[in-house]
Order: sequence, then C-alpha cells, then structure tokens
Amino acid sequence: MTLQVTQNKIPLIAITGQPNSGKTTLFNQLSGKKFKTVNYPGSTVEYSISKILSKYSVNANILDSPGIISLIPSSPDEEISVNTLFEHPSHGTPDIITVTVDASQLSRHLYLVRQLINSGFKVVIVLTMLDLLHKKGLDISDKKLSEILKSPVVRVDSNSGKGVDVFLTTVNKLITDLQTSKEINSVIKYAPDNKENLLKSYIEIEEIEKDVIFPVNKSESNDKPDLNKINESLIVLNNRGTFQKPDEFTIKLDRIVLHKFWGLIIFFLTMLFMFTSVFYLAAPLMDIVNDSFSFLSDNASQILGNNWFGNLISQGVISGVGSVLVFLPQILILFLILGLLEDSGFLARGAMLIDKPLSKIGLNGKSFVPMLSGFACAIPAIMAARTITNRKERMLTIFIIPLMSCSARLPVYALLIAFLIPQEEAFTGGLILTLIYIFSIMSSVIIASIVNKFSGKLLGSKDDSSFILELPAYRKPKVSVAISNMFSNAKQYIFKAGPIILYLSMLLWILTYFPNYDPVVNESGKGEDEIVLMKNSERIATSYASEIGYFIEPVMKPLGMDWRVGVSLIATFAAREVFVSSLMLIFKVTDTGEDIQSTLLSAMRNATFENSDIKIFTTATTAGLIVFFVFALQCLSTVAIAKKETGGWRIPVLQIISFTAIAYIFAFITVNGLRFFGIN
Amino acid sequence: MNYNNSEDQMKTAAEMKIGEKAIIEDIDNEHPSSHRLMEIGFTPGQEIELLNKSIFNDPISFSIRGTIIAIRKNEASSIII
Repeated sequence: MTLQVTQNKIPLIAITGQPNSGKTTLFNQLSGKKFKTVNYPGSTVEYSISKILSKYSVNANILDSPGIISLIPSSPDEEISVNTLFEHPSHGTPDIITVTVDASQLSRHLYLVRQLINSGFKVVIVLTMLDLLHKKGLDISDKKLSEILKSPVVRVDSNSGKGVDVFLTTVNKLITDLQTSKEINSVIKYAPDNKENLLKSYIEIEEIEKDVIFPVNKSESNDKPDLNKINESLIVLNNRGTFQKPDEFTIKLDRIVLHKFWGLIIFFLTMLFMFTSVFYLAAPLMDIVNDSFSFLSDNASQILGNNWFGNLISQGVISGVGSVLVFLPQILILFLILGLLEDSGFLARGAMLIDKPLSKIGLNGKSFVPMLSGFACAIPAIMAARTITNRKERMLTIFIIPLMSCSARLPVYALLIAFLIPQEEAFTGGLILTLIYIFSIMSSVIIASIVNKFSGKLLGSKDDSSFILELPAYRKPKVSVAISNMFSNAKQYIFKAGPIILYLSMLLWILTYFPNYDPVVNESGKGEDEIVLMKNSERIATSYASEIGYFIEPVMKPLGMDWRVGVSLIATFAAREVFVSSLMLIFKVTDTGEDIQSTLLSAMRNATFENSDIKIFTTATTAGLIVFFVFALQCLSTVAIAKKETGGWRIPVLQIISFTAIAYIFAFITVNGLRFFGIN
Repeated sequence: MNYNNSEDQMKTAAEMKIGEKAIIEDIDNEHPSSHRLMEIGFTPGQEIELLNKSIFNDPISFSIRGTIIAIRKNEASSIII
C-alpha cells in the first residue's frame, strides 16, 4: 500500500471521523448533492464518492467512508470500513485522509487521529463543533495542535461553511507537495491492540489537550471580563484526566427527554407523529402515483389496443414502474423525519429509552423505528434498519419487519372481516381488527426470539449484542443534510431495488396473462366493458398461474380452499391489495355494479367447489385466510428490498419459506380448530 | 454470602446512582466490550458521572470526556470504580 500521486491520477481524499463528528456535513459541503453511493463489494457497507465541487477549483475525488471509532474494528462491518480506508477496492489508497474532530470532546476524537497519523497517512484535521466548545467557555489553538501533530489543522463551521476555503487551500498545497516530491510514502496500519498501549495513548492525548485548549472570556462585547467564568474554567483545567464537561443545555434537556414518565410521553408522541405522517401524509401522494399510472396504463391500452402487446405495455411495464414508484412518498417522508430526528440528537435518546425490552429478544433500541414503520409499509421500514450498526441486530430486525401488519393488508382484512361480520356490527369488526394487530405483534416477538436463538445459523451473523451509543449534544437539525440524505435513500431504492421489483412484477404478469392471452368468450348481448372483464376472467382462469393454482390445490384443500383462492394468493405477490381485485377476476365478478365490495361479497358467499355445492368461503375458512395474511410474505417488493439491504438472497428466501410455512400451519389450525368446535 | 464488608470490595459503574461521580479504577479485560469501552474514552483515572437511567434502569448514560455516552448495565459492570 503506497501513496503515489502522479500527474495523471486524480487525487483521492477520504473523509473519516467518529460518528457525530460532522463528517457527512463536510462531505455534503464539498460535494454538493451530486454524489454516488455505492456498496463495498459483497457487503451492505456503503460509501459515497464525488468530485469536489467545481466552484472550489480543486481537482480531487472525495470519499465519504463510514464513521469509525478506531482502526481496531469490533464488528465485521467496521472491519470493512477500516480495511477499505487503507485500500479502497476501486479507488486505491487515499492520498489524503481528512478527519473530522469534535473540538468539544477533543480527547476522544484525537484517538483515531493519532492512529491514522502513526499509520503513515497524510492527515488533515478538521475541527468541528467549535460553537459547542465556546459555549463551555473554552477555545482551542489550532496552531499548537498542528505543531504537536505535525499535520495541518483547519477550523470549519458546519452551519455557515466558514473555513471550507481554508481547508481546500490546505488540501491543494498538500496535493502539490505530494505531486512534486519524489518520496513514496507507505501506509501500514498502526494500531497496537493491547490495553497498555491504548492507555498510554490516552495519557499522551490528555497532555496534548491540556496544551491546546484554553479558557476564553465569553463576554467579549462587555466591558468587564466575566471573572467567575474564567475561574470556573481554570478550576476544571487543573483536574486530572480530561476536563471537558458535556454541553450543559443537553444535560438539562436530557433530564426531561430521558425522564421515566415525561421521556416516555415525548417518545411516544414523536413516534406517533412519525408513524401517522408515513401512514396518512403519504396516502394522498400514493394515490396520485397510483392514479397517474393507471391513467397512463389506460391510455396505453387504448392506443395500443386490447391485445397482448398493449397489455404488456399497459399492465406489465407501466403498472410495474408504478408499483416501484408507489412506495416513494413513504420513503421520502420517513427518511426526512428520521434525518431530522437523528440530526437533532433525539433519535439516540429514543433508542436508549426503548432498548431494554427489545434487547430481551435480541434486538436493539434502534430497531424500534424500523419496526414501527413496518406497520405502514415494510419497504421504507427495511431501509430504515440501516441505522442499526450491529449487523446481527440489523438482520434480525429486517427479518421480522414483514410480520408487522402493513397498511396493504388493511383492504384484505377489511374485505374478509366484512364477510364474517354483518355491516351493522362495525364495533365487532374494529375489535377483530385490533385483535389481528395484537396477534401479529405477539407472534413477531415470539418469532424474533426464536430466530435470535439460532441467529448464527439462520442470519449468518452472530455479533455480540452490545449497546454503546453516544448521546450527541442537542442542536437545531440541518434541513439541507436531511433532504440530501432523503434523496440519496430514494435514489438507491429506485435504482437498486426498483429493477428487481420491476422484473418480478413482469414475471408475475406473464404468469397471469399467458398462454391463453386472447380467450374466446360468449359475447352475445354483452356490453363492451363486460366483455373485457369476462375476457380477463377467462384469461387468468386458464393462465400459467391457474396451473400453479391447480398444482397447489391439494395443499389448499386442508384449508378449505380451492385452486381459485390459490391463484389469487399467487397474484397477490404483486402487492397484498391485489388480492381483492384478483378474487374478483377469478370468481368472475363481471357485474360492475355500484358497490364492488358487496358484489364481491355475494359472489364469495355463493362460491362453491367445482362440481359440488359445498361453500368455499365459510366462517372457518375466512378466519383461516385472515390468519394466513397475518404471517405470509405476500409482497415481491419486500423480497426485493430485503435482498438489497441484506446483501444476498439468504434472508429473503428464508423469510418466504418460513413465513409461508408458519402462515399455512396457523391457517390450518384455525380452520380445522373452528370446524372441530362446530363453527363452519 | 460474603459478610466481609471490606473497602477493597469492587464496585462497578453499573451500581452508581443518578448524579453520582466516580473515578474509573480499571476496566475488566474479560468483558467482550472492554476494549471498545476504553477506546471511546472509559479509561482508568477518568472521571465519569451517571446522568440518566432509561426506563427499567437500563441502559444508563454517563458524562465522559466532554460528551454523553449511553451503555447497557451489562457493559457498565465491566467499569470498575
């Protein structure tokens, strides 16, 4: 590993630093919004790369690698972050490493700086959070620090971006030096792994801290210097070890935010706000997406005609793209709120408050937000799990998210409950719905604890569970950072998970459309719309999907269902809400009356097994179907996003198999249990 | 049962009360998180203050080296004070 800046290679500047040190803010200031986020090969660890904005006229690439605490990794993900800092798989060894250092907690952050300098890197130190340092009545001498560390030190104010120009001049000079000098610098990881060295390093750092940090007169504008403040600062300066205290305002606010009663109230109100935003604010936007794509789809089929090609474009391609984009509003809203909560410092507190109960089932306080989001939609929820640093806990959280009762299950539940309960008894219906939710939460807790027991085998990851989390000082969240983070996540969803969703929904379209793509129906005396509906019904009834339906009928029989319900379940993989419309098609609800639901309900009441008059939809089988939907992973998009976020097919395949098996077993128990007690 | 109430009985950060300050004596090397705890600044000689306890009294947050860090009680039990 050697540093070699030649004239023809664009220099690479890596930005690293501890979490919460202002690393990403600096990266955003240098790159603008035009950065590419990429996964390291074979892992879910991400990095962002960009050219430095042209207005700064420094010709260099900047790399935002994940935040690290030390060069000695304590998890597989950290190991990747550290190793790629030394030798990036596609960009080589960085020529310069920029470390962001929170000046208000200098000693903790200098630890990594020294490891990097000792490893032979050309290091530029960027001091951040100077406002917090000033609030403590202290200041730092960047000149002295630079002399001691023999590396350039620059102050950057993350709010105004003041100091970025000085940083770039420094970097430019270093690059020119590197290009002209003949010496070849080599980089070797220097991070002794023993306690003695670690403690010695900290003692040296404390000496440095004492040299460079000094008390200031805060009331400069006043005529009289604030003697009390200076005396206070001097007293702490004489203490042994490091003398810095956490931000006072933060300590005070924490007494409320982490209060056993008020803290919990604030936490639940915040979570309620977040959840309702994802659930309700997104709904009209999702309708717009849905409506515009069905408008496009209708137009396309009118222009191209009701033939296989017209349908391929309208129902395959256009609806497929629509089914990718329909999740976008939820993703945007969730990540915007998450970004603001994280940047303000609240999210870390929330994780701390809720950690204990979740730790019992192998999860982490940070699992809460993704799990809660799962009740709106599994897609943004699984993406939100990337805030969980511990790999095992992240995988486990992703694993159980599809068990949360997402909003797409609601129309299915609504239909099936309406079948069970007469419309007058709305209250009983609501009660059943609540019971379904409680049942799904309880089952996911049980499943999580079982999977946790076998996490090594099942998830391919068994990190030690630990919870070490900095509670950063509260501050006004930076909207620009949250927005840029939101768009970056949305972009990744569209370009990484989008194609998988599109391919899978095309495959599903083929299964439900071919081979009998132009069925013959009795058209006499029927209206045009009715003929189209009859054709659609006939087509799906003779499709490949129906063959699969026939094939799995022996499995459906014990649940009291026939091949037609099987076909609907297969078609439902496109999205759970499709269940209702595919039931309509397969049970030939061609009467387009005013009230579709009651038409479908009566069709369901009259549906019998072929060549017999035994009813399919009874109280028992409908209850069984509800239970089936509680567990079954009936959603291709979830499979696609789980594949992307876990970095492989292992977990999504495991989810499909196990959740379908559990769904089947519990549906079987429900149907036959009810029948045993005489409820048919 | 140990009736010997001697002074050299070990106390850990997990047993601290809210608002209590202590100087770290040592870190238990046997604990899987011991190295990480030292790296983030929990080193012998350093003063810590227990600031808050979460519901169920776990995790707990400490003032350390100019910032606040929350750790589980299990991890705090490796910090000898």
